[in-house]
Amino acid sequence: MSRTLPLAGPWRRQAQGRRKQPRSPRQVLALLALAVLVALLAAAMSGSVGLSPRVLLGEWPSPLAWQVWWQLRLPRLLLAALVGAMLAGSGAAMQGLFRNPLADPTLLGLASGAGLAVALWIVLLDGAAGSLGLYGQFLAGFLGALGVCVLVFALGQRQHGQEALFTLLLAGLAINTLAGAMGGVMAFIASDEQLRQLSLWGMGSLSHALWSATLGALVGIPPALWWLLRCARGLDLLQLGELTAHGAGLDAPRLKRHVVVATALGVGLCVALAGIIGFLGLLVPHCLRLWLGPGHRLLLPASMLGGALLLIVADTLARTLASPAEVPVGLLTSLLGGPYFLWLLLKRRARC
Amino acid sequence: MLSLVEAGFSRPPTLAPFSACLRPGELLAIVGPNGAGKSTLLSLLSGFRRPEQGSLCLDGTPLHRWEPAALARRRALVAQTLTLGFDWPVRELVALGSEASAAEIDAVLALLDLEALAERGALALSGGEAQRVMIARALCQLGLGRSERTEPGQVLLLDEPTSALDIGQQQRLMRLLRRLAQEHRLAIACVLHDLNLAARYAHRVWLLERGRRIAAGTPAEVLDGRTLARAFDAELTVGSRQDDGSPLVLLAP
Repeated sequence: MSRTLPLAGPWRRQAQGRRKQPRSPRQVLALLALAVLVALLAAAMSGSVGLSPRVLLGEWPSPLAWQVWWQLRLPRLLLAALVGAMLAGSGAAMQGLFRNPLADPTLLGLASGAGLAVALWIVLLDGAAGSLGLYGQFLAGFLGALGVCVLVFALGQRQHGQEALFTLLLAGLAINTLAGAMGGVMAFIASDEQLRQLSLWGMGSLSHALWSATLGALVGIPPALWWLLRCARGLDLLQLGELTAHGAGLDAPRLKRHVVVATALGVGLCVALAGIIGFLGLLVPHCLRLWLGPGHRLLLPASMLGGALLLIVADTLARTLASPAEVPVGLLTSLLGGPYFLWLLLKRRARC
Repeated sequence: MLSLVEAGFSRPPTLAPFSACLRPGELLAIVGPNGAGKSTLLSLLSGFRRPEQGSLCLDGTPLHRWEPAALARRRALVAQTLTLGFDWPVRELVALGSEASAAEIDAVLALLDLEALAERGALALSGGEAQRVMIARALCQLGLGRSERTEPGQVLLLDEPTSALDIGQQQRLMRLLRRLAQEHRLAIACVLHDLNLAARYAHRVWLLERGRRIAAGTPAEVLDGRTLARAFDAELTVGSRQDDGSPLVLLAP
């Protein structure tokens, strides 16, 4: 019962050679981790308060320079790494959950939902002023993201395939528009101090990262990342469709709950801390999937490392491009991500 | 053994309760007109939908009490269609749901004549190829690529596995299923539209109509001209094959 392929000779070799045998997962992750480390070092040494490379030779900076670096630069670097890892990791998980490469926390309105909740907290409850300030902001971000997640999910559940995708993207659009408008209303009724707070936070910037914010991220984000990593095998099975996945031993409702809560927790925190940083969650998993294939056991950790890498680099650029002024990093990622997204859509259409 | 005791669904899509069991070593064909409840029955048998009446047990334990991973080693399901969001290489797709080694995957791919497609992306497959890949995946999940078998009493459920296959592939698949049932003592339940495939290869046949099982038995018992004509609302005659006497269903001109 042999059946030969219609392709022969060089054509066939080309068809097979298109999918290069990927390196072993361990090698890929080690490579990415190394790149993150190099980026961290480079970022630590760049810019106005950067350490001099002589630190590596054991020559310590003056106590004052060290103090400034420790207070300003280090928390910012850590925050960039954590937020980048979380946004890209949750993007990969959402794409797996919706079985769709266009799912992403910003496109689906998760981030703007969290953003709106934070704006409500700052303006209506005057949250920034109280002693609970920052932590209230975390909680508001989490609840906002969770609310949108549940809503989007309820919408996506009722339909399948192409139709579900349209519903989701339209829902995301509606949520983004609504959140934008309500954010405008909030800005309108806010006091001057609140307005400054809002606009500082809203552009998506890591520039006001202090240890208090970074500590929140250090406590909240690693558990969310770990939680997502544990969902990798389930996300692989879910690709078969719910019926088959159930037959292969997947408890799909449980998996969905886990991914949704972990994503809402992580993205909510990210938005509360750093504003809305667009396209990272779409871009990183997509590029890595082209390289590594769709299996989540490799894709999820690789996306987290890749996201950390990209945001560290982007934040360093944001700091240094227009120095001494700063470009908000959210603007930068959107400027990079927008055209890429359009190119992606064009390419998909060509293939279909 | 997978056994149904007055199991059914009262909420739509409904299934009138009945009792039966899937016997190891037997290939069961589930036939019936469109919308008769064949896929509904399969989702009952796989445990995807819990019966609202009666019970469904594997080895005496209700299916929903089974630990999902343990159950997955005992029963596998091939759904009607495959919809993928991402382009999985065939080899990785086949390995989903099992910790199969490369040799096991190769063995299963060879069973379904898929070796040449192993490194291809699944989105580029034809309908028939995708169907065989999903069957290979289910066989892999049950560990049928291994040289030594461990789990006895396994169940394989397939929803119209021949719908996109050409006539040669249909024959090879049905022969393979029958062989697996006999050699590995698998209980196989297979939804089929082609009554002649059911007549030729199945050990037993269940006929469904409007959400109830109206006949069950050997192909010769169930595939009776008058019953089929009424159930399918079709004009047909049932003869018998010259070689083995099994029923032969023909449309009336």
